[in-house]
Amino acid sequence: MPHESVHTVQSYEQELEQLRSFINRMGGVVERQVAQAITAVVEHDEAAARDAPEMDPYVDELERETEALVIRLLALRAPMGGDLREVVVALKISGDLERIGDCAASIARRAMRNELLSCPISLTGLRSMGRLVQENLRRTIDAMDQRDPELARIVWQSDTAVDELYVSMFRELVTYMMEDPRNIGPCTHLLFIAKNLERIGDHATNISERVYYAVTGNTLPIVRPRGGTFD
Amino acid sequence: MNKIIMDNSMGQNTAVPALAIRDLDFWYGENHALKSISLDFPTRQVTGMIGPSGCGKSTLLRCLNRMYDLYPGQRATGEVVFDGRNILAPGLDVNVLRSRIGMVFQKPTPFPMSIYDNIAFGVRLHERLPRADMDQRVESVLRRVALWPEVKDRLNASAAALSGGQQQRLCIARTIATRPEIILLDEPTSALDPISTARIEELLDELKQEFSIAIVTHNLQQAARCADRVAFFYMGELVEVDTADRMFTAPHAKRTQDYITGRFG
Amino acid sequence: MSVQKTLPEAGRGWQRGGAQAMRRRLVERLVSMLCNIATVIVLFVLFSILWTLVTRGAAGLSLNTFLHSTGAPGSGGGLANAIAGSCEQTGLAALIGTPVGMMTGIYLSEFGQDGRVVQLVRFVSDMLLSVPSILVGLFIYLIVVEPAGHFSGMAGTLSLAVLFIPIVVRTTEDMLRLVPRAMREAAYALGAPGWRVILGVCLRAARGGIMTGILLALARISGETAPLLFTSLGNLNWSTSLGAPMASLPVTIYQYAGSAYDDWVQMAWTGALLITVAVLATNILARWWLTRNGSAQ
Repeated sequence: MPHESVHTVQSYEQELEQLRSFINRMGGVVERQVAQAITAVVEHDEAAARDAPEMDPYVDELERETEALVIRLLALRAPMGGDLREVVVALKISGDLERIGDCAASIARRAMRNELLSCPISLTGLRSMGRLVQENLRRTIDAMDQRDPELARIVWQSDTAVDELYVSMFRELVTYMMEDPRNIGPCTHLLFIAKNLERIGDHATNISERVYYAVTGNTLPIVRPRGGTFD
Repeated sequence: MNKIIMDNSMGQNTAVPALAIRDLDFWYGENHALKSISLDFPTRQVTGMIGPSGCGKSTLLRCLNRMYDLYPGQRATGEVVFDGRNILAPGLDVNVLRSRIGMVFQKPTPFPMSIYDNIAFGVRLHERLPRADMDQRVESVLRRVALWPEVKDRLNASAAALSGGQQQRLCIARTIATRPEIILLDEPTSALDPISTARIEELLDELKQEFSIAIVTHNLQQAARCADRVAFFYMGELVEVDTADRMFTAPHAKRTQDYITGRFG
Repeated sequence: MSVQKTLPEAGRGWQRGGAQAMRRRLVERLVSMLCNIATVIVLFVLFSILWTLVTRGAAGLSLNTFLHSTGAPGSGGGLANAIAGSCEQTGLAALIGTPVGMMTGIYLSEFGQDGRVVQLVRFVSDMLLSVPSILVGLFIYLIVVEPAGHFSGMAGTLSLAVLFIPIVVRTTEDMLRLVPRAMREAAYALGAPGWRVILGVCLRAARGGIMTGILLALARISGETAPLLFTSLGNLNWSTSLGAPMASLPVTIYQYAGSAYDDWVQMAWTGALLITVAVLATNILARWWLTRNGSAQ
């Protein structure tokens, strides 16, 4: 729910807007990074693989600026209530977004390894995982944008699906590796890529938890529905 | 009526509140300044009262020691229960009440007497102490407010010679000298510099181990620092009551949220 | 409607503005000069009076003045009875007037709350402040001297008291009003009953100003002549009895100054000097007391 009332001190309102804009921009860039990274793996797209890591410095810069602005707001404005929650949560969200960017860059760098390019292993699992993670990320960023706690809750619950996909990928790849030792190389890389995707999903869920708290003042249950275990 | 009264405090010291307000209404002549207030002041805790100017928080405070008796045209209806009695009812000895519920004002007001006499004045109203006992009372009270080292050599000097912060601490000493159970403070540090303010807030922290304290402040930071529970007033109504923690991180009512975040519209 | 958003251009750098500024400075100098001149005139007048009094009056000042009562011209009399009479009448008037005046002042300040009665009392008191003193004398003549059939020191005392009281009432009320409301409330908040608050706190806070008021009232009545003419009349012999006519410095001066005898005229000057010194001393004492205690603190 957007604020209907506005701060008496305009410059305070402007600084909060500035903070929101930093986070939004980070979200936009990181979403692109993830999209490019997945394209790089699944389509063997060299241009995409180069693109994702190049956006990294920009994300880092935004994270630094967010942190500086948060500290400034805390010191000079002494925010309370909803403002306080929003400011503190922005700090944590920027950290999560930055790590998502790192994971995406790491996926992209791995994508162009020779072993993978000539690998016969099916990428369907990875493709669906990638799609799900991207969708969660997009929803989380929307929840952030619109301050929608219900949307945040939905993302929080759907991390289960991502975890399950990761577990089944893991089993599949292990099977491949046991079948043929020549698969070990490419499968290991794919495993790392899958892990990174799963991490992205986790970070997106973190963000949605924080959005929920910032908007409602309540926390979601500590134990997240975790899908999939390893036997 | 969209009053929201929430009480989500956890873990009070004792079950019976030091002061219990029930359906209090107050009028300045025709002006209905307080509307049906119900509020508890827990024992040995600091209850902060915040709200914009004219919301009635000071008015409420002054009801608690019947200060409005001094001014014709001001009247209160309802109940304020202290020690089993409704102190708004007629037939109450107001002077004894005021020795049990003390008040400290915004502007430090030392009497035009020596430091010793300032403190002895209140005590002499209610007790007859021999000189030695009075000396002891004066000293213990001055020690309590951390003023003793600064004034012990000039107890007979005029109180007007003290600095603003010292004067206010003297006023607090004067108030606790009559051994009250409750201390009411009406914006006690708004006329003082930050260091004096910090000293007095530290003092309140200590005093709440012995007294129940109600403090009116327009400084939100001060309420956040000092109060265990906070009550938010708006236009004569009590909007919300909660622990300081919840009140300042996640208040329930929108009016509260707007006020504490600075969205005055 | 265009509103001038920019301020008119200030003078460049350190130059001090144009013709307008010069005119301002000129006016300022002119006014200062006029004030200074006026002060000098006032001081000149005051000092010349004092000078005249001192030079003329000191000539007749001797121990004799204080030891002997007024006597026939040429008999070498003094002013002892007049001095004693003045002291007695003013002293007693102050003794009567202080409690009455103070209590009225307390009533007006503390209990009145601007009701009808209070406004009436205040109005009357203010009128009495500026009533011609001769009327007071005539009034006391009517109600005291006539029924008694003779002049008396008591009547003189009463007429002086009537002039004394309004000043004390006004000062007491004003000084009490200056006591901050917060201080009053602080005393009430400790559980003090009303009279304790007034006595213990308010009066103490206002004592400097109230004392000044009393001293100033004293200074005023010590110079009053007209009321005494109709009440205590004057007495050529030594008398300290209130039931009989009593001498006083102002009346003696009045009687002596217009006479044809040189030594009597000299005595008049001496008497005038004595009164002036007494009034000056009282005023200075009052101011010193005020600064020492501060007002309403």
